[in-house]
Amino acid sequence: MKKWQVAVVLCLAAIGSWFGLTAHAQAAEYTIATDTTFAPFEFQVKGGQYKGIDIDLLKAIAKKEHFTYQLKALSFNAAVQQLSANQVDGVIAGMNITPAREVTFDFSKPYYTSGVVMAVAKDSTVKNFNDLKGKTVALKTGTAGAAYGKSIQNKYGFKIKYFNDSNTMYNDVKVGNSSACFEDYPVMSYGIKNGIPLKIISKQHNAGDYGFAVKKGKNAALLKKFNAGLAAIKADGTYQKIINKYLHSKESKITGETASSRTFFGLFSQNLGTLGKGLWMTIELTVISIILATLLGLLLGVLGVMPGKIGPAISSTIIYIFRGMPLMVLAFFIYIGIPDLIGHGFKIPAFIAGMITLMLNEGAYTGAFVKGGFQAVDAGQMEAARSLGLPYWKAMRKVVMPQGIRIMIPSFINQFIITLKDTSILSVIGIVELTQTGTLIIARNFEGFKIWLMIAIIYLIIITLLTWLSNWVQRRIN
Amino acid sequence: MADTAIKVHVQDLHKSYGNTEVLKGLNLDVKNNEVVCMIGPSGSGKSTFLRCLTDLEVPSKGQIVINGYDLSDAKTNIDLVRENIGMVFQHFNLFPNMNVLQNITLAPIQLKKMTPAKAEKTARDLLDQVGLADKATALPTALSGGQQQRVAIARALAMHPKIMLFDEPTSALDPEMVGDVLDVMKQLARDGMTMIVVTHEMGFAKEVADRVVFMADGLIRESGAPKDIFEHPQNPRLQDFLNKVINV
Repeated sequence: MKKWQVAVVLCLAAIGSWFGLTAHAQAAEYTIATDTTFAPFEFQVKGGQYKGIDIDLLKAIAKKEHFTYQLKALSFNAAVQQLSANQVDGVIAGMNITPAREVTFDFSKPYYTSGVVMAVAKDSTVKNFNDLKGKTVALKTGTAGAAYGKSIQNKYGFKIKYFNDSNTMYNDVKVGNSSACFEDYPVMSYGIKNGIPLKIISKQHNAGDYGFAVKKGKNAALLKKFNAGLAAIKADGTYQKIINKYLHSKESKITGETASSRTFFGLFSQNLGTLGKGLWMTIELTVISIILATLLGLLLGVLGVMPGKIGPAISSTIIYIFRGMPLMVLAFFIYIGIPDLIGHGFKIPAFIAGMITLMLNEGAYTGAFVKGGFQAVDAGQMEAARSLGLPYWKAMRKVVMPQGIRIMIPSFINQFIITLKDTSILSVIGIVELTQTGTLIIARNFEGFKIWLMIAIIYLIIITLLTWLSNWVQRRIN
Repeated sequence: MADTAIKVHVQDLHKSYGNTEVLKGLNLDVKNNEVVCMIGPSGSGKSTFLRCLTDLEVPSKGQIVINGYDLSDAKTNIDLVRENIGMVFQHFNLFPNMNVLQNITLAPIQLKKMTPAKAEKTARDLLDQVGLADKATALPTALSGGQQQRVAIARALAMHPKIMLFDEPTSALDPEMVGDVLDVMKQLARDGMTMIVVTHEMGFAKEVADRVVFMADGLIRESGAPKDIFEHPQNPRLQDFLNKVINV
């Protein structure tokens, strides 16, 4: 076998074994989605595990009712979208039971009652809603806080800025970009107790009930089990124990972190395992995507320079669509849009969706420069090869492609680096790669500067290594 | 396929690019072992004509039969036709990603299923023939224009073509390189190769050609033995052309 054939076989084997692993991991009866950062209801603790009221309740209920589940931590928005797209069986994420949501979801009996409060920076001059006039208020999309904020926006005349996770929203208020935020009381109060430098300055508004949700008309059995289990753990005291554990203790008790571990290196060594996992996911995504995108790009490039009109037309269209679409839109489209369209419980694992997204987007870019590289080879080369009697594909493979690929090498290196960085965008569909790992760690310890610095350094190191490797390959080829 | 006396038969050949007609109805027959030189002002359609013979340009109208293959017949395998034609370009078009030997052996190995050892033996003989035995492992970029063109001729000969087409083979060369290339071509002619040469080298045409064809504005205006063409030109365009060329 030739070298490239070996490479293709290895690549397929890697993907194949990965599929095998996924299939194995999905033996649980239900997939239940939760939010990533909504302490004390759900948050990640040291070592990548999730904890919180929702998580513990679900665990206790599952134990009582003897069902198994796989937990999937996504942003709240993604979790809700996936439930309506039938990608997951249920969502437990501190979700308010509202009439609007009851149109698409069936809710369990309420398991917690809470209200919305306004929080401002510690040194803020904002005392009440009237002080918000002309100022900006931070809201988290899809939450009760957001609904409440929107409902009083006209009355008090403030501007609204939306965020996808709580921590980024708090930070925006902390650094003064926004003057206030609206958040569920237990969440806000827990966060403040654990170091968020904000203060609550309103009473609870629009008290609402939290419920566990399934898609309307689906999973009635799961809902029934949840209700029965909830009643059971309320009766035997487990419920109150869980609530007390989270609402009346500091985070350090739960996560085992100490104040002395808040230095840069302390944080680093403490989160080494989690960061390593995230980094590995980033590398895995990058390598597989680079291989697939390169194959797609070569195919598009070859199609693009084919004689006749059909090949180039197909190539330009595919490049036009996938190069023109923002990576994030494409990721959402594949992960949430396609299963929604197909229905029948069709699911795409996030990793596969992410891989396809990167393959299409980076493949389109690769296709564009591969096509350009082939076109940059003097037309006389093809003519000379054909004149010797070589058929088109043979002439392409033996004469035009080797020369074109040499022209493309710098573009390939560039594209590999871009692919590595673009994996970070896939955090939006819940893939816990390096960037999402950072978000999760910060959601727990609020050390934004140190953790993002850590993440940035890791990216730079990897990109430096990748650049060295590419340069070495380039020297070998030339 | 029998070795017919007529190697090339061209009838009423037209070629247009959009509204511009470059070839306006050419007729030409080339016999076995014949050397035909095509002369004429730039833009008269000489190169286009030559490129039509190997289907690098597709005629708008007309018939071409070369080595017994009818190019206008859809069933004709163009790759097979080209295997039997040696084409030499103005700019050599050597493959820069391969050395001299690889350039020459590529087609025999790929198409004639020749073993690399045998192909290399043939290639070295050919290099010897064109006077470049010592350049076997050189890269094309390390060679002068004249050397590159001689390699290109060797590359074309490696497929044992039944006819050689030369498209202004010396036009891109420095004057002192021209002689070596023409010498190789003269030797080929003496060995009995059928050749069509588009050229501006009047001396070569006079000395080597069995027939000289003068083209102007997409048509053959005059054709005949070198002596007749150069010493007794009939067509006023040819007289004009020769005056200009000789007075340069």
